[in-house]
Amino acid sequence: MTGLLQHISLPGDEIPWLHEIRTNGKNVFASVGIPTAKNEAWKYTRLRELNADDFVISLPQQNLSAPQAELPFDAYKIYFENGIFNPAMSELPQGIEILPLIEVIMFHPQYRQLINTQLIEKRFPFSALNVAYLNEGIFIHIDSRVEIKKPLALIYHTDTRGQNLLCNIHNLIVVEEASSAKIVEFHYYNGEVKSRYLANIVNEIYIRRNAKLCHYKIQNEAFKAHHLALNYVDVAENGSYNSFCLQKGADVSRNETRVLLKEPKASAEVNGAYIMNGWATIDTTTDIEHLSSCTTSHQLIKGVVGGDAKGVFQGKIHIAPEAIQTEGTQLHKALLLTDTAEVDVKPELEIFADDVKCSHGAASGELDEEQLFYMRSRGISEEDARQLLIAAYLDDAISKIEDEKIAAWIKLWAK
Amino acid sequence: MTKTPLLEIEDLCARVCDKEIIKGFNLTINEGEVHALMGPNGAGKSTLSNILCGKSGYEVTSGSIRFKGQDLLAMSPEERAREGIFLCMQYPVEIPGVPVTTFLKHAVNAIRKHRGEPELDTMEFVKMVREEGKKLGLDADMIKRAVNVGFSGGEKKRLETLQMAVLKPDFAILDEADSGLDIDALKVVSEGVNALRNGKRAMLVITHYQRLLNYIIPDFVHVYADGRIVKSGDKNLALELEEKGYAGFVREK
Repeated sequence: MTGLLQHISLPGDEIPWLHEIRTNGKNVFASVGIPTAKNEAWKYTRLRELNADDFVISLPQQNLSAPQAELPFDAYKIYFENGIFNPAMSELPQGIEILPLIEVIMFHPQYRQLINTQLIEKRFPFSALNVAYLNEGIFIHIDSRVEIKKPLALIYHTDTRGQNLLCNIHNLIVVEEASSAKIVEFHYYNGEVKSRYLANIVNEIYIRRNAKLCHYKIQNEAFKAHHLALNYVDVAENGSYNSFCLQKGADVSRNETRVLLKEPKASAEVNGAYIMNGWATIDTTTDIEHLSSCTTSHQLIKGVVGGDAKGVFQGKIHIAPEAIQTEGTQLHKALLLTDTAEVDVKPELEIFADDVKCSHGAASGELDEEQLFYMRSRGISEEDARQLLIAAYLDDAISKIEDEKIAAWIKLWAK
Repeated sequence: MTKTPLLEIEDLCARVCDKEIIKGFNLTINEGEVHALMGPNGAGKSTLSNILCGKSGYEVTSGSIRFKGQDLLAMSPEERAREGIFLCMQYPVEIPGVPVTTFLKHAVNAIRKHRGEPELDTMEFVKMVREEGKKLGLDADMIKRAVNVGFSGGEKKRLETLQMAVLKPDFAILDEADSGLDIDALKVVSEGVNALRNGKRAMLVITHYQRLLNYIIPDFVHVYADGRIVKSGDKNLALELEEKGYAGFVREK
């Protein structure tokens, strides 16, 4: 039986700093284990299956199927095969530093401090696990005063070839002062449809003064897979983080976004949609920390749940005492397509400052029978009518995406 | 001249939640005919139109409905629409997030596909809708808006008429087409409807008031009360009804 924690030798083990944080990660994960329903942060999201599986740590392999991903917009394509960065296949832009993370840790120690030791805490067990294997992933460094118009597309292609792979990916993304960039993550699978694997992703993102990052993501993993992602975002003065995540694949998926609005006028948009069937669990967890004055955050998450599936939304807005004149809004809405579909929603507001605007809301409903009949009475099939209504339901969330081509692409996937 | 029956309703009885609403209804409508069905509130007029279009929640307890010789009650709402039935609704439904063009293009192509005609591409479709819309005096921007959302009463009825013009049904049911319309809008909608009258297309105009029948002149008028037709006649029956009121007819039965 080989579980999630294994002793394997990784590059850089001889570096004391790296060895220490890997060991810390291992120890923290070993002490917490796979979270159960007793763990408040994971009480709605079942992870039982992870106990039952043997895992193989994903290592570079030859002869993967490596299909070229079709994207209907122009982008710099950066490929990962089973979680392993493939520079040979990737198209790397000029003027942006993109390096394997391990190379940065080994040869550019000045950046090591960016790897956040808060990730190795008991409340983030999978980030601790991720750090225990800290090796794979990339470093993206966008220099100050650079505007990168063409999106950087991080294409994660998985083909497990019958193995239960554990893919740990750790990306470090720094957008320096007064720069802007768009990052698109596309997680997809081809190969044996029933294969199990765990994609365990950490993105550490630093947005410096007056900088802006748009971060868009589609998660469409194999239907028996687990996908657990943490986006840890640090935003400086007048910086902005604008994100949208569409989750539709995997058996269990969590997209967790923690944003620290550290300095005045920092802002965040954390939007998303999920659409699911079968027995899947899709979890969207957010934690927005307003730590300074005049910071703003907006969240709009829309879900469509069918079959016996379960949608989970846990959204937290924290406003620190010094964060006066801040604004934080949050809205989660879900459409339940069957009697057995479920959503669990846990909004939390922690407000320690006066003079703030803060709101949250949650609603769930069903497809409107009158609308369905109206469409059918015009000759539209019931299935098409449902699809049109579902697309309409998700439309306002997807329309938050500033890039029209990327929004159109995500709309195509949101079916 | 022998006429081809389009819709044949025989001894129809139906109920909603155990309440008998339609109690032995008979009506045959031939190709090209325009029939008016007039009745007081609560007579079951909307129940009849909903049953004809296949809305759920109504139980037909006996009788039959044949459309072009086929068993209409065995068909789904979309099959009925594709066979050529169109209900111009009394209260058109708002569909936020679905633009009129998207909605109508799906409908047109579903029906064209059923008829064995090639589907229209976006250009052809928009051109056709614009032409039909112009005839009805529709604001061109209306088709970009979400279906019926924020539409005035008159705009909703014009959109219903536009849909009818675009979908070209063989049989149209106009359920209280005049409700919520001022006199100018009523004229526009009626002209739109009249323009669609031809030797083959049949219509059933369901109305409460005689007023609408000044604009859409029927071939036959039926008085509908307590779940069945109590009297049939030509257009003059509508005038008689206006004079006497429904009470006179209900007592006659």
